[in-house]
Amino acid sequence: MSTFDKNAVEESIRLKEASSGSVTVFTVGRSDAKKTVKEALAMGGDRGCLVIIAAEPDPHDSLTTAYLLARAIERAGPFDLVLCAEGSSDIYAGQVPPMLSEWLALPFLGYVRKVEIEGRVIRCEQTLEEKVRVLEAELPALVSVVSEINEPRYPTLLQIMQASKKPIEELRSELLVDGRGPPRLVTTVGMTAHAMSRKRVIFEGSAEATSRKLVEALRSEGVLKR
Amino acid sequence: MTERSRASQGAGKDLLVDGGAEVVEDPDLTVEALARAAAKKRPSAILVGATRTGRIVAARLAAKLRLGCLSDVYRLKVQGSSILGERDVFAGKVVAQVKADLPCVASVKVGTYPKMSEGRTGLEVEEVGSLQGGVRLVETLEKRAATTDLRSASVIVSAGRGFRTKEDLSLAEDLARALGGALGCSRPLSSDYGWLPEELHIGLTGVTVRPSLYLALGISGQLQHIAGIKESKVIAAVNTDKDAPIFQVADYGIVGDLYQVVPAILEILKS
Ligand SMILES: Cc1cc2nc3c(=O)[nH]c(=O)nc-3n(C[C@H](O)[C@H](O)[C@H](O)COP(=O)(O)OP(=O)(O)OC[C@H]3O[C@@H](n4cnc5c(N)ncnc54)[C@H](O)[C@@H]3O)c2cc1C
Repeated sequence: MSTFDKNAVEESIRLKEASSGSVTVFTVGRSDAKKTVKEALAMGGDRGCLVIIAAEPDPHDSLTTAYLLARAIERAGPFDLVLCAEGSSDIYAGQVPPMLSEWLALPFLGYVRKVEIEGRVIRCEQTLEEKVRVLEAELPALVSVVSEINEPRYPTLLQIMQASKKPIEELRSELLVDGRGPPRLVTTVGMTAHAMSRKRVIFEGSAEATSRKLVEALRSEGVLKR
Repeated sequence: MTERSRASQGAGKDLLVDGGAEVVEDPDLTVEALARAAAKKRPSAILVGATRTGRIVAARLAAKLRLGCLSDVYRLKVQGSSILGERDVFAGKVVAQVKADLPCVASVKVGTYPKMSEGRTGLEVEEVGSLQGGVRLVETLEKRAATTDLRSASVIVSAGRGFRTKEDLSLAEDLARALGGALGCSRPLSSDYGWLPEELHIGLTGVTVRPSLYLALGISGQLQHIAGIKESKVIAAVNTDKDAPIFQVADYGIVGDLYQVVPAILEILKS
């Protein structure tokens, strides 16, 4: 499981423990994504749902992923809250949660570092670059969390064993799409390792001597203003 | 209006969507306003700055309009009936080339293009009238004055976990001041310790910077941090560990204790 996803799973379990209800874990992937669902069930999820796509999914085709998740969530019945991570830790496009909120027509609270629920009202602290906004919405709602929100738990061996008895539903993506799904509009054309060539001049010695050499070098590069 | 609510049309003409100040603040309203304007104007591309709010707006707008969406892209170019762009993935180790069919929505990586000059003419204004959103703003906390904009700083002194206390950061501040630069930091200092505001955190999940000089003090140089600094002209680093990965990506490095090196540099700059 992506590290950020663990924060979302952790938060859902904490909310369940604080009130009541149950947690269903959804994922879209190849059939081997089942182990990801099991990890989340070991942390405390109650049941899982895996949407299996036959072809290798394009990591940048978020519209399709969000659409499939929306259909699977709707199919699973009524719910109060959908929690997602802010983005995956590898691709980090962060598109699925906001897209999902559109497909499910839910209020969206993104980049959240604190969640409180009172009755049918959810109150969140949204952390943006320059400020923190306290937001409220009626449930059901959709929230994406940032990693600061909590410290995910490590499941015990017993929990890992018990998780294998929890139900996981497997859905084939073709059955969910029923001709109304979005066409594939975004493709990954290529991936290239990032090359960076730097001078790598290293100074060792006393603080005074090395500092002098560094200042000289930076002056001759013309990057010191004074 | 801010860059967030400004949608650029494919033809290089800007469209100003005007629905009042709340539209800028509230993604619900921004999405609705842009969707309405897009329905009328049919732009071939809608570009949004990839701030957190901008990313939300872009993705929701794309789902609403059923368009493809690219996140955090740079080096955009139109090719036939699609748009191509690049984005950093796998903690900046890899650059992905991505393509979307036009029309599309994209959020453009912050700091990768020069700022658009204010007072640019030829702006079309589209009034969208009053709108309503589903999320209420209760209050705004810790609203910090954006003192320094790291994206436009030509010198950045950046602090990492090599600093032992919050108070010690005054060393980095002094050096930044002496160099006429701005202060930045690695993610743990802002997100975990709260020693510095979030907007000073540089890297994959923070800001991308491109100064002439980036000076890293007590920063190990993990890939997620490097992702935000690799377009700097010159990278310099001070670190006690000669095997620290930062030295692999630096032009100049001092293997030494920042608590001794920074005062020494300050002394030299004074004389
Ligand atoms: C998905 C994800 C996204 C992330 N995004 C970001 C991001 O955007 N930006 C970011 O910065 N991090 C990010 N991180 C965290 C990143 O992986 C590193 O943990 C972080 O950058 C480390 O910060 P640091 O270099 O300050 O600390 P450390 O790695 O602890 O390094 C401290 C360094 O200081 C040196 N040092 C100690 N004492 C002294 C001294 N007296 N003088 C000189 N040097 C000294 C040490 O040798 C060490 O190299 C992300 C992580 C994940 C998982």
